[in-house]
Amino acid sequence: MSSALPDNNPVKPAEKQREDRRSRSREQSRYKFGKLNEYTTAMIEWYGWEHRYWRIAIMLVVLVLFVFSMSVPMSLAFQSVYAATLLGITLFLRSYTGTLFTLVMVVFSVNQSSRYLYWRMTETLVLDNWVDGTFGVILLLAEIYAWMVLLLGYAQTIWPLKRKPEPMPEDAARWPTVDLYITTYDEPLRVVRPTVLAALAIDWPRDKLNVYLLDDGRREEFREFAESVGITHLTRDNNFHAKAGNINAALAKTNGEFVAIFDCDHIPARSFLQMTMGWFLRDPKLGMIQTPHHFLSPDPFERNLGTFRRVPNEGELFYGLIQDGNDLWNATFFCGSCAVTRRSILLEIGGVAVETVTEDAHTALKMHRMGYTTAYISIPQAAGLATESLSAHVGQRIRWARGMAQIFRVDNPLFGKGLSLMQRLCYSNAMLHFFYGLPRVIFLTAPLSYLFFQAHIINAEALIIAAYAIPHLAHANLTNSRMQGAHRHSFWAELYESTLAWYILRPTLVALIDPKFGKFNVTAKGGLVEKEFLDWQIGAPYLIMLALNLAGLLIGFVRLFWWNSFEAQTVILNLIWTVYNLVLLGATMAVATEAKQVRANHRVNCNQKAMLKLNGGSRVVCRASDYSEGGLGLIMPDAGMAPLHSEVRVSLFMGVREFVFPARVVFARDTVVGVEFEGLSLQQQMDLVQCTLARADAWLDWTDNRVVDRPMKGLQEILFHSMKGFGHLWHYLLKRVNSTPHQGDEDKKPEKDVFYQTLSKKMTGKGQQETVMHRLSGFVQMGRTVLQKSGDSVRARLAKGRI
Amino acid sequence: MTVIAVISPKGGVGKTTVAVNLACALAENGRVVRLVDMDPQNALRLHLGADPGDANGLVHQTLQQSSWYYTEYDSAYGVSFIPYGKVSEVERITFEAYLAQTPNWLRDNIAELDHDPAGLTIIDTPPGPSVYVQQVLSIANLVLVVMIPDAGSYATLPAIEGLLDYYCGHRSDFYGSYYVLNQFDAEHPLNRDIKNVMQNTLGERLAPHSIHRDESLSEALAFQQPARDYAPHSQSVEDLAQLAVWLENKVTRVVR
Repeated sequence: MSSALPDNNPVKPAEKQREDRRSRSREQSRYKFGKLNEYTTAMIEWYGWEHRYWRIAIMLVVLVLFVFSMSVPMSLAFQSVYAATLLGITLFLRSYTGTLFTLVMVVFSVNQSSRYLYWRMTETLVLDNWVDGTFGVILLLAEIYAWMVLLLGYAQTIWPLKRKPEPMPEDAARWPTVDLYITTYDEPLRVVRPTVLAALAIDWPRDKLNVYLLDDGRREEFREFAESVGITHLTRDNNFHAKAGNINAALAKTNGEFVAIFDCDHIPARSFLQMTMGWFLRDPKLGMIQTPHHFLSPDPFERNLGTFRRVPNEGELFYGLIQDGNDLWNATFFCGSCAVTRRSILLEIGGVAVETVTEDAHTALKMHRMGYTTAYISIPQAAGLATESLSAHVGQRIRWARGMAQIFRVDNPLFGKGLSLMQRLCYSNAMLHFFYGLPRVIFLTAPLSYLFFQAHIINAEALIIAAYAIPHLAHANLTNSRMQGAHRHSFWAELYESTLAWYILRPTLVALIDPKFGKFNVTAKGGLVEKEFLDWQIGAPYLIMLALNLAGLLIGFVRLFWWNSFEAQTVILNLIWTVYNLVLLGATMAVATEAKQVRANHRVNCNQKAMLKLNGGSRVVCRASDYSEGGLGLIMPDAGMAPLHSEVRVSLFMGVREFVFPARVVFARDTVVGVEFEGLSLQQQMDLVQCTLARADAWLDWTDNRVVDRPMKGLQEILFHSMKGFGHLWHYLLKRVNSTPHQGDEDKKPEKDVFYQTLSKKMTGKGQQETVMHRLSGFVQMGRTVLQKSGDSVRARLAKGRI
Repeated sequence: MTVIAVISPKGGVGKTTVAVNLACALAENGRVVRLVDMDPQNALRLHLGADPGDANGLVHQTLQQSSWYYTEYDSAYGVSFIPYGKVSEVERITFEAYLAQTPNWLRDNIAELDHDPAGLTIIDTPPGPSVYVQQVLSIANLVLVVMIPDAGSYATLPAIEGLLDYYCGHRSDFYGSYYVLNQFDAEHPLNRDIKNVMQNTLGERLAPHSIHRDESLSEALAFQQPARDYAPHSQSVEDLAQLAVWLENKVTRVVR
């Protein structure tokens, strides 16, 4: 009989199957579980919630149940069965969409994590000897912190409001007057110019929008520019309180009913005001409305790991989920830029807060204390540059962490008047979150206390630890993946936090002790990285931790087989933990390896209609594939249409309106053409910003190509980057040892060429693959060079290591 | 069958080019399209690759009291066409005098031809008012006025409107008249201004897509090809394609 069967029922590829399952889930949630959704709604709308005593009674019942379920003692077998049941239900539920199921998963997760912590506190702490006690308590405190942040996080983001823009009244005469502030201190005009031009192009009655350039650098060049575009250049004779002081000084000089605030590198979309102002007219108590900070350039994580636009970046969790969650509880924070405030309320709280270095969050807190509301619209209505280097990024996060710690000290949201319970919790979580430095460092080194000092930090049998810890970790990861997956991939928080932990540890602790200590630092933007390098300075603390963990690993293996090997299970548990820590630290190394960045102007991908008028007078339909301040990448319908160096006219469209820009072809290969604009008039520069960066829909499809989060996938990604990190580390260590700089061929190529090579690869369908292959081959090549360089000794050592 | 008249207030606005290329674009979308050249320049056929030496045309057929059937040509581009014919001055004067006496001449001749019920007959005319335009406007179901974005064209707008009103305004089988801007160049402020003004005056009656000034269109004629075949990626071809879709919608909607 022939082995070939008719291909009637081909096996679907795994990806397709997953896609099917996902769409089925959507359908079933909508139709099959429609009744369930109705019951939930009925439950939510129950009148009892409006009555204080009902609420308190229910809270008490819930509290009793919570404490009971957390503390009821169980044998190992019972706990295992109980945990497995809950985990099974969670695994079943997570394939269905809907808030109800999320709530159930959260309840399970809270229960399992609380059980774990209760068990840890009551049964695993040994205080009878000094070593065990100290390390044990330290770890437990870190775990309590993590548990608190987990619970507060659930409370904060359980039900994102997803507020829609409120339409403006038909009659534009009723639209209020707005002052738009653009704050700058030492940024070059090149960065500020597009922001100003875009601000001038915002759709709002001309006589009701005044743009002000708040220049704390008091530069003549800026004054001339402001004059040339017809906006007001505001300065003051001191720089007290940095940006907050700058804004407050301007408040005294202008008089619009509303004040929109922009950092000098956040380019507003033309729809910004119409998207936001409606809520002010509807809610007279609304003091501030915030929109997301969207970044058109990769931050150091994205750049150094090569994950730009594929993996959600560090800030996205905050702007995608947390702010939307805050909005439900009327606790949206002000973020200093891309926001509108109501002047009367801002003045009533004494202007922008100046007591701390995170003036923005504190300002919102003051508004909330006075009983005013704030709002959040999760639609990117402006875009800016991300921090350029890891050190700058760290600097910025240090400032935020310090500021939050300062607010915690000088105006603690847990106390004082005017706030609702949930507002207090949301603010506390925001502040508490920035204290992750110490706990994270503890987690990264905790197993060492056992491996080095034999401290029994968790005094229990390995099997029991697993029965409590695994469900705790599994539930937390599954639930968070469901709630945050779209805005943060699983396990990426570990990487982000690990990288920054050491650096925000000190400033937060210092600010806790003395809030006035330390000074404000401005985040530098717009720099270049000419050659890939490992930032030893930033990486140093992690290198030390890495070395310690490696040593721990070694000792662990020795203890497992040869010396002191009576606690094999515990050693294995600690070894697993150590390996996990090494994975995180390796990924940190990958982040610390600064990838090359050779362009001053960032290229932003796009896909929009364009037209090229060639030198001979014929006009060709084409598409714009990316733009930057200085030029445009075009995809032509045919190769060789626009000769290099020829003068052309590029048309871009906004609806039926057409804008023409003079340009010169600076690159032409196959169908890819790069043009550089030449001699644009001021009006043309404005038009250009409008057609590109300031388009109302410029950032809406930003996340379209993103993969859906799955916990194991996240772990895989981190593992991959960790391997890369170790590769980099190995490479640069050897380089340092040999001190003969090894330079790859790539570094020598002229910058434009390299850029357009990758660009043209991107255009030809399989480009993505090619770049990845290119990278991989480079990686292998690098490994080979290293091997050859270090000669036999390394090879011998490697071989030994394998045995 | 729907008759579309293509007229223009002035010469040199690219009326014939628009008519031919629009017809080709419509044919590509699946319409049966017949072009009739009523312009003594007899240039329409050259766009479609006709033999320049062939003098045959509707004038000869009319003067010989024969049918148009014998002067309809198929082109390689999906449309058929009836040329005006190469005529002497005497023939032209005689023909025009005949037209003046026979107001139903065009209606009768068109009716005699075979027709696809959903087909389109697009008739090209000489610029300005003439006996040809009278006859064409008297039977057209839809009129396209080709303009260029300059002050001269804009100034003729009232005259054209008067003409349209006189010949078409009262007829129940008249669906409407629309304006198309040709040779548009957004780089010139005057072009943009005139487009804006016309948009304000005409509103919906100005076609949403203007045809860009494009050398490819002139070059296509030199090669005796429709622009779509000569320079498929040119902006003007794209504009005409969009215009065809727009026109298609207009025709379908009114016929239903």
